[in-house]
Amino acid sequence: MEPIEIGLWVSGGMLVFVVLGMRVAFAAAMAGFVGLVWLRWNGFDYDPDRFWKAVEISVKIAGLTPHSKVSAQVLSLIPVFIMIGYLAYYAKLTTALFEACKRWFAWVPGGLAVSTVFATAGFAAVSGASVATAAVFARIAIPEMLKIGYNKQFAAGVVAAGGTLASLIPPSAILVIYAIIVEQDVGKLLLAGFIPGVFSAIVYASMIIGIAMMWKNVGPPVTGFTWRERFESLPPASPIVLVVVVIIFFVYNPFGDAWGTPTEGGAVGAFIVFLMALYRGMRWGQLKEALLDTAKLTVMIFTIIWGVLIYVRFLGFAELPAAFADWITSLEMAPILILICILLAYAVLGMFMDAIGMLLLTLPVVYPAVMALNGGETVAAADSAFGMSGQMCAIWFGILVVKMAEFCLITPPIGLNCFVVAGVRDDLTVQDVFKGVTPFFIADAVTIALLVAFPGIVLWLPSLAG
Amino acid sequence: MAGSAAVLEDSSLLSKLDRILLPIERFCALLSGLAIFSLMFLAAYSVTSRKFFGAPMMGYVDYIEAAMPIIAIMGVSYVQRDGTHIRMDMLVSALKGRTLWFFELISVLMILILIVALTYGAWEHFDRSFDCARLLCSRDSSIDVGIPIWPSKLVVPVAFAVLVLRLLLQAWGYGRALILGLENPVAVPLNLTIAEQAMIEAKALEGLTDGTD
Amino acid sequence: ATEWNVSVWGKRRAFTEHVEKLAELVSEKTNGEFTMNVSYGGLSKNRENLDGISIGAFEMAQFCAGYHADKNRVVTVLELPFLGVENLEQERAVSNAVYAHPAAAEEMAQWNAKLLMTSPMPQYNIVGTGEPRTTLEDMKGMRVRATGGLGKAFEAVGAVPTSVTATEAYQAMESGVVDTVAFAQHAHLSFGTINQADWWTANLNPGTVNCPVVVNIDAYESLSDAEREALDSSVEESLDHYLANYGELLKRWDAVLEEKGVEKVEIAPEVLEEFRATAAAPARDAWIADMEAQGLPGQELYDLVVKTLADAKAGN
Ligand code: NA
Ligand code: NA
Repeated sequence: MEPIEIGLWVSGGMLVFVVLGMRVAFAAAMAGFVGLVWLRWNGFDYDPDRFWKAVEISVKIAGLTPHSKVSAQVLSLIPVFIMIGYLAYYAKLTTALFEACKRWFAWVPGGLAVSTVFATAGFAAVSGASVATAAVFARIAIPEMLKIGYNKQFAAGVVAAGGTLASLIPPSAILVIYAIIVEQDVGKLLLAGFIPGVFSAIVYASMIIGIAMMWKNVGPPVTGFTWRERFESLPPASPIVLVVVVIIFFVYNPFGDAWGTPTEGGAVGAFIVFLMALYRGMRWGQLKEALLDTAKLTVMIFTIIWGVLIYVRFLGFAELPAAFADWITSLEMAPILILICILLAYAVLGMFMDAIGMLLLTLPVVYPAVMALNGGETVAAADSAFGMSGQMCAIWFGILVVKMAEFCLITPPIGLNCFVVAGVRDDLTVQDVFKGVTPFFIADAVTIALLVAFPGIVLWLPSLAG
Repeated sequence: MAGSAAVLEDSSLLSKLDRILLPIERFCALLSGLAIFSLMFLAAYSVTSRKFFGAPMMGYVDYIEAAMPIIAIMGVSYVQRDGTHIRMDMLVSALKGRTLWFFELISVLMILILIVALTYGAWEHFDRSFDCARLLCSRDSSIDVGIPIWPSKLVVPVAFAVLVLRLLLQAWGYGRALILGLENPVAVPLNLTIAEQAMIEAKALEGLTDGTD
Repeated sequence: ATEWNVSVWGKRRAFTEHVEKLAELVSEKTNGEFTMNVSYGGLSKNRENLDGISIGAFEMAQFCAGYHADKNRVVTVLELPFLGVENLEQERAVSNAVYAHPAAAEEMAQWNAKLLMTSPMPQYNIVGTGEPRTTLEDMKGMRVRATGGLGKAFEAVGAVPTSVTATEAYQAMESGVVDTVAFAQHAHLSFGTINQADWWTANLNPGTVNCPVVVNIDAYESLSDAEREALDSSVEESLDHYLANYGELLKRWDAVLEEKGVEKVEIAPEVLEEFRATAAAPARDAWIADMEAQGLPGQELYDLVVKTLADAKAGN
């Protein structure tokens, strides 16, 4: 049998097990392991005497992968980013942030909803996880909106959608994972997420203002904050600004050399939030809980990483990614149409799957194909299909798929953010939240279309960084 | 996501073993957490000494790489205990009773076989770097400061061995539920609907914020 | 038919041309009966290539001694700073001599590996950004990507070796993880560090890195006589091809520097002398003492290198 056929069978089998409910990390690792055995034994012409030899070699290849793959300095970003988010709760940055946004932005039509969007965007700057963001703001923002007569479905929708911003605006665990899978510069990807993240927030806010102007009862403006009150709200929320500035300057300093690496930026940011949490009364018991929670999320993510990388190692031996790339480039179709089809496929897949699992499982095959579509890893902008260099294409595609993955957090039937919001609020059903979040599909579709049509939104900042 | 599901307890031997293993797993996970915490200090220290004292830290990358297996893998069993490793539960959440326990049992048994194999493979990887006929028993060293790599490689089979114990308990738990037709078996993560899971997650966050007031 | 998997890393470049040539020659000589499938990073991480050979995951692989000195103590003699190797022919000669030494073969046999050929490289000069570092004072606190003996040499003058992998070097330089990168010319080109650089040292010549190509012993022994003959007889030819190809690259080098706007920095002779005095002898003595303490013939290996080098220079 041809290695590629084995690759297809094993990949298909893995998807079946994933659908049947096996933990994604272990389904991928098992597929990789079984695939390695099959491939090796196939190489031995299915000689029964050499079956155990094939198993032994495969066990050793698979067994060295977890250590080999997690022992990379760049991966240390993920736990640090996760820890910042958990420490931020204890530093009470969330309520401070919402209060500040309210005092500054709530005077516009749909004011509280707009404030919520900006507050989630701000919290996104210290949080790598979308679901956590949605859960926090469901508790803080929804009651305030209901108090002044908001439609409750709409209020819930705002929070569910606002939560998705956390994965575009750095720090973002999912962007780091993308960077590692495709072996691109983490710093540039994080930078690249910044403008599309803020852009998404602005699209959300504009849509809310539009809706509020059309239907008066959706969200009345909240006025009456004095300038003094506004400025007083800033200091408690300011550590967030500090953390954002620190992380950005470590990755890209507009006035000179970057201060260091993203990991160092994350660590210094975490340190600031840690001091803040201490100041706000965090003690050993709470720190221990925060560390355990950080460890849990970290280990969960890393298990998927090494599990999928065992599968990827098998793909390397089976040469499947190259074959898929050849197939994609041989299609008689405009490259941009193929790209749009790929994004639509992600929209469908993402309806049923977790974002990280989805990206990790598909990227090893899809990413080389997209790069080949553009003209290869090293293509110059002038010779490429999408009008950008190989490196820029990698960044652009990364932001697009992460935005797709975030979009999937609010689409039925398994939009996790909607379930979280409904779970926090006893007076809301999941159907309510899905109804309220519907306008945001349109906003997200518009955002994605604009990111596809004007790659400059994504690429401007990373291109400044050289 | 990282919501923890419920694991029931009673006075059975299985549940007792579950509760004996739990503190060990918690300790391993706490090691992960502490390693992450130290990472923060290490990076902050490295930045400070470089930026303000012009003396970059020797071996910074080596130490981080050595710590990564503790961070990434040590807590793997703790995460398996309450079913935090993500999966697609569209199908599973529609199942009930014996059918559900059957699916879960098969799934756990397959993971068990996989992890036993990986434990052996990871041990072999450690063993190749370990040779006590040599200085510091080292047959593989880091790139800048030449520290032995075997301790970092040893982390993986140790963490996996704990996971094997956990998987044995879970296989027992699901097997028992399958045979006895139990509704709410002990020592296994109970399959929550997404809504219930979201509720627990939100409660956890609530606890988190309230705790500091 | 025999098909071998070969694990290398990065992308195809001057550094892997002998492997590509070997695959081509072997296939030609056996009429396609014996083929090699060269994989750039798909089969293993570069630092685990020896593990892969030991396991039998693939049949041939390339690695560099400085990545993991404890895995391959013997060949690290070739990475000692300031050995005085002047060109690729001499590098090839000293590598061959050390690879033929029983201590080297014995240590590699512990990994089920047999040393097939070297990947001769010129002196690892450094590129950097900002003001050129032309004195030892400038090098204090400098974070330099330099592995193995080179790292030790820079350490001796107060610099801090910070080893990212070759594939991460560009990113590390850009993000400021390192200030300077020590590479051979081909690597400055293929890993893009030359695009980041403001200057390149033309005559620092601190030493080089040794990167053998090895084969799995079992796989080698199970080759048919014709296949083994095809492999063995292609080694020298592949190295000739490699050297010729690398020679072309070196000829183009000055033009490359000019095109990229990189300043060619000449270090003053007295600075070089000072560097050599600080780094060379102590590193050599420490290495020999270290090896002898571990029961390896450190002095003998070092003498072998010195003698072979002298012979090679006399022969030229
Ligand atoms: Na974020
Ligand atoms: Na969804």
